[in-house]
Amino acid sequence: MNISYAWLKSVAPGLGDSPEELAERLALLGAPVEEVTPVSAGLKDVIIGEVKTVSGHPNADRLSLCEVFNGEEVVQVVCGAPVIEEGGYYPFAAAGVTLPGGLELKRAKIRGEYSNGMLCSEKELGLGRDQSGIMLLSGDVSAGQSLIEALGLDDVRMDVEVTPNRGDWLSHVGIAREVAPDGVAGVALQSIPGASSLDLEVKTGEHDVSHGDVTIRIDEPELCYRFLGVIIRGVKVEPSPQWMAARLRAVGQQTINNVVDATNYVMMEMGSPMHAYDLGTLEESSLIVRKATEGETLQTLDGLDHKFDAEMLLIGDTAVAHDIAGIMGGMHSSVTEETTDILIECALFEPKSIRRTRRALGISTEASFRFERGVDPEGHLPAMKRVLEVILATAGGDVDGPILEVLPRPWEPSTLTLRPTRVEQVLGIPFESAELKALLTPLGFTVQNGGGEGGDLSVTVPGYRSYDVTREIDLIEEITRAHGYDRFPDDLAPARPTTVPDHPLFQLEDRLRIVLSGEGLFEAANPAFASEHEGEVELNNPISLEESRLRSSLIPGLLRNVEYNFARGVRDVRLFELGTVFHAAGAGEPPREDLHVAFAVTGRREPEHWSRTGDALDFWSIKGLVETVLSVSGWDDASEAEVEAGEVAGGSAGEAAGKLFVRRSSITLMADGTPTGAAGQVRPDRVDAPAWAGAIWAMELTLPAEPAVEVTPEYRPLSPFPGVDRDLALLVPYDVSTSTVSRAIRDAGGELLEQVTVFDLYRGDGVSEGHRSLAFRLRLQALDRTLTDKEVDRMVKKIMKRLGEDLGVEQRL
Amino acid sequence: MTQKNPLIQTLQELETEALDAIRAALDGEALEVLRVSYLGRKGRVSGILRGLGDLSADERPPVGAEANRVKEVLQEALEARETEVSASREEIGAPAEDLTLPARHRWSGGVHPVNQVIDEIWTIFQSMGFVRARGPEADTEWYNFLALNTPLDHPAVDEQDTFYLKDFVLLRSHTSPVQVRTMEKHEPPIRILAPGMVYRRDSYDATHTPAFAQIEGLVVDEGITFVDFKATLAEFARRFWGPGTKVRFRPSFFPFTEPSAEVDVKRMITMKDGTRVESDWIEIMGAGMVDPNVLENVGYDPEHYTGFAFGMGPARIALLKYGVPDLRMFFQNDVRFLSQFTSQSLSQLTDRDAP
Repeated sequence: MNISYAWLKSVAPGLGDSPEELAERLALLGAPVEEVTPVSAGLKDVIIGEVKTVSGHPNADRLSLCEVFNGEEVVQVVCGAPVIEEGGYYPFAAAGVTLPGGLELKRAKIRGEYSNGMLCSEKELGLGRDQSGIMLLSGDVSAGQSLIEALGLDDVRMDVEVTPNRGDWLSHVGIAREVAPDGVAGVALQSIPGASSLDLEVKTGEHDVSHGDVTIRIDEPELCYRFLGVIIRGVKVEPSPQWMAARLRAVGQQTINNVVDATNYVMMEMGSPMHAYDLGTLEESSLIVRKATEGETLQTLDGLDHKFDAEMLLIGDTAVAHDIAGIMGGMHSSVTEETTDILIECALFEPKSIRRTRRALGISTEASFRFERGVDPEGHLPAMKRVLEVILATAGGDVDGPILEVLPRPWEPSTLTLRPTRVEQVLGIPFESAELKALLTPLGFTVQNGGGEGGDLSVTVPGYRSYDVTREIDLIEEITRAHGYDRFPDDLAPARPTTVPDHPLFQLEDRLRIVLSGEGLFEAANPAFASEHEGEVELNNPISLEESRLRSSLIPGLLRNVEYNFARGVRDVRLFELGTVFHAAGAGEPPREDLHVAFAVTGRREPEHWSRTGDALDFWSIKGLVETVLSVSGWDDASEAEVEAGEVAGGSAGEAAGKLFVRRSSITLMADGTPTGAAGQVRPDRVDAPAWAGAIWAMELTLPAEPAVEVTPEYRPLSPFPGVDRDLALLVPYDVSTSTVSRAIRDAGGELLEQVTVFDLYRGDGVSEGHRSLAFRLRLQALDRTLTDKEVDRMVKKIMKRLGEDLGVEQRL
Repeated sequence: MTQKNPLIQTLQELETEALDAIRAALDGEALEVLRVSYLGRKGRVSGILRGLGDLSADERPPVGAEANRVKEVLQEALEARETEVSASREEIGAPAEDLTLPARHRWSGGVHPVNQVIDEIWTIFQSMGFVRARGPEADTEWYNFLALNTPLDHPAVDEQDTFYLKDFVLLRSHTSPVQVRTMEKHEPPIRILAPGMVYRRDSYDATHTPAFAQIEGLVVDEGITFVDFKATLAEFARRFWGPGTKVRFRPSFFPFTEPSAEVDVKRMITMKDGTRVESDWIEIMGAGMVDPNVLENVGYDPEHYTGFAFGMGPARIALLKYGVPDLRMFFQNDVRFLSQFTSQSLSQLTDRDAP
């Protein structure tokens, strides 16, 4: 909401703050000021130019040559505006001047003719949105005069951020109530230049009311609570006087004509939106607040055509719509220079209906913005009187008849009980009843003793606060605000411990982050969106096709990150991610969510060092990393699946893994007997990699919803007796896996077998067809004695017997 | 007890003598002489080992074992002394290895900068007795809006343009649903912090991403007041932003808190030349006393229990804290970027190229 500092001071005469002080105070009242800008910013050197003559440009049809008098001399200006009046006054920026947008004007030849500056539009001067033509100035101006002086631009615009609960702040009077020295008592409207006092009657009807042949009527009392109308005949529609135009420009409003501007002026000043109709265009001379007929249409003021459904509220006669109630007027009935008789409407609409309609139509206006947030139900009559004052003073004419009012149900202010004990319970410090009264009264609340115990108060809420103050707690907020948030103490008091446990998944995430970053990986973060090819769960209203679903895997995002790094010449990329993935669930159910951990790594195993050449990451490094992750994954029992390379266990995880990984170097990860993840070398066709890039390895694992509690390690006695190492070279058939052999050795070795290590793999000469030679080192040790050679030999024999019988594995001699 | 074999006695004497000689040797040459005289093919220990064949079957194992033990001890002593003398040789001026050559390191990794900020925030709240809670990222209109006293046709809903999955199911637009879910499951006292991802239909730009992390906090108990609210958040802000930080509470509006506040900080910034200057006020969180309607919606008696809630954006805080110019960088996962947020001490120690 734009506020003019000069305007605000005019309605709060006692206000002494500078714009900066005011901004600070407003912030502490809950309405931070985003920007404080002089209205005249960048306009210091712009003057008024008088166009003496206009002629066509000899070399361009759309340009014209203007002789412009700048107060001292006549200069030639090339102009592109379609209409320029000879004898008209326009803002003129001479060569050398820089406009508010940063455009620096130079003397230039345009199609062979010199231009010594520019005649400016409102938009170019930062004064409004109108860029259709240059800005014709009216009233008492002279060539060479400073534009700031001529337009009364010596003002400051304050952009106040108004929270959605405070519709009452969307006007100068509304802001003044909060900042005037005595609050509401310090607010007063300034008299309008040239206005005389009016004493009008109000003629009220419950359903409709008429004067002469003019009728106003409410057919939808649930959606329109009040409707005021006034007829003025014999107005002279022309540009607004300078004082009004200056104020509207200061708050960024376009000026149109004295009648339309008057309605906008009063809305900006007092907060009640209103609309002026050209009475002569209303064929039935009536305005009915009614629902649209399905498919009814209206061309609005902005030239757009709208089509309505049967739930939308319109104002029109029985046959034709003239206005989208509370949103925007129609083109046909709008006030133009030909208008002589007008009908002013000032009504109160139900916020939700306005919101529904304007969202459906995709428009938002100053009026709809206010109605959605709540317009003062007590403010209509004062606003109507004010607008009459302004119109009669600026456009002339005579009021025909009384103020017409349709009021289906008189508005009743609400009264709330305020308990000082409750105030202390919430705020933590005591307030006396008298203090509470002193805090609330300046805000417009009427405070009386409510009787009962404990000094309870009875508080009547003014109309402009009837939307956001409906409960005792809302009054307590007002007390907090009025007292000043910063005046409350902030002493830390002890608190009772909570009954809620720290969620174990956070602890699991902590552990995985520590382990994986310790392993040399960087944690990545990707938004949980996926393309239409990747995810299972669709968004109803995505931003783009690339992000139209939710991911069901973390790996695609990590692979894009690897590509991003490759594209920047980074070869060593090691990323992991912890994140939520989504799977489709039953109708009406939210999708199923799982927490996943994944990594994607490529490049060297260790940083380059001068002492050796770096090896690339390979399957065995990745398998180590996978086992590390599994050991801290929170699953009770997690391991690689006991399957041959390339064979992928079932389940959707396995299926996806089959498409993602190189068949012969991928493994399935099992948790509690179920495939729960996969790891391996990413298929080269899945990644856009430069020629120099190494293989990419990746893993993804679903984490348990309820991670296992970490088991406390238990001490095992250490043997004081030396252990014995025995090396065994074994001939192992290809269809027997190393892990099978290891397990058989452990099984047969029993308690004495302390450790089994594979230390060599050999294929080739000396190894029989269909076999490979695997070298195992067995460490044997007893707790109570030094093992003798005989015992060790016996043990090896036992192991070899078992290997031979069960697996066909022989010792290589 | 049997008499000790005299050869074992000899071996032990040899051991003592040789160890003394080794300790006294000053260079590699002297050590080589000692090695040959004790362990060489014709050396004295080797001689005893060679003579084992002359012993009886009973005498052989203990003497053999002892001879092997002495041999091992002497070998170790020779190697150790060799290392010592070669090191001292370099001290006295022989050409040395260039020790300024780079060290050997392992890859360093790191936690995502936004998660580091979340961790830091969590550590402070943990010390004030908070625990962490979580809830689903895809949730219902009830948890995201209605239970939080936010009617769907309220203009406040406009400010959080929401992604929908199907009717009534949406991606949460804030972490506040966790408040409701936690209170539904547990009785007060509640003191939770709920970090998590939230989603809003914003296009990507320097200050917006359609998915971002948020941290919710909630305290509910008997006797929790506006003073406790201010005290807890001011304590957090001063600890997070460092000594000299000023904290300001401003009235604001959220449908689920009443009174509502924005919390601003003004922190001390150390400039390159060491001078300390005050920053502008920076908005760091939205907060307030829990609206009685929210307590009622979860079955708490609002006349009995009161509380406060707050929410902040760790990515935005990370932006301020590290001086990152663009929120999108947190999602690019450029390892040159991510490696900037690893332990300061380590990156100062080494001048190797990152990463």
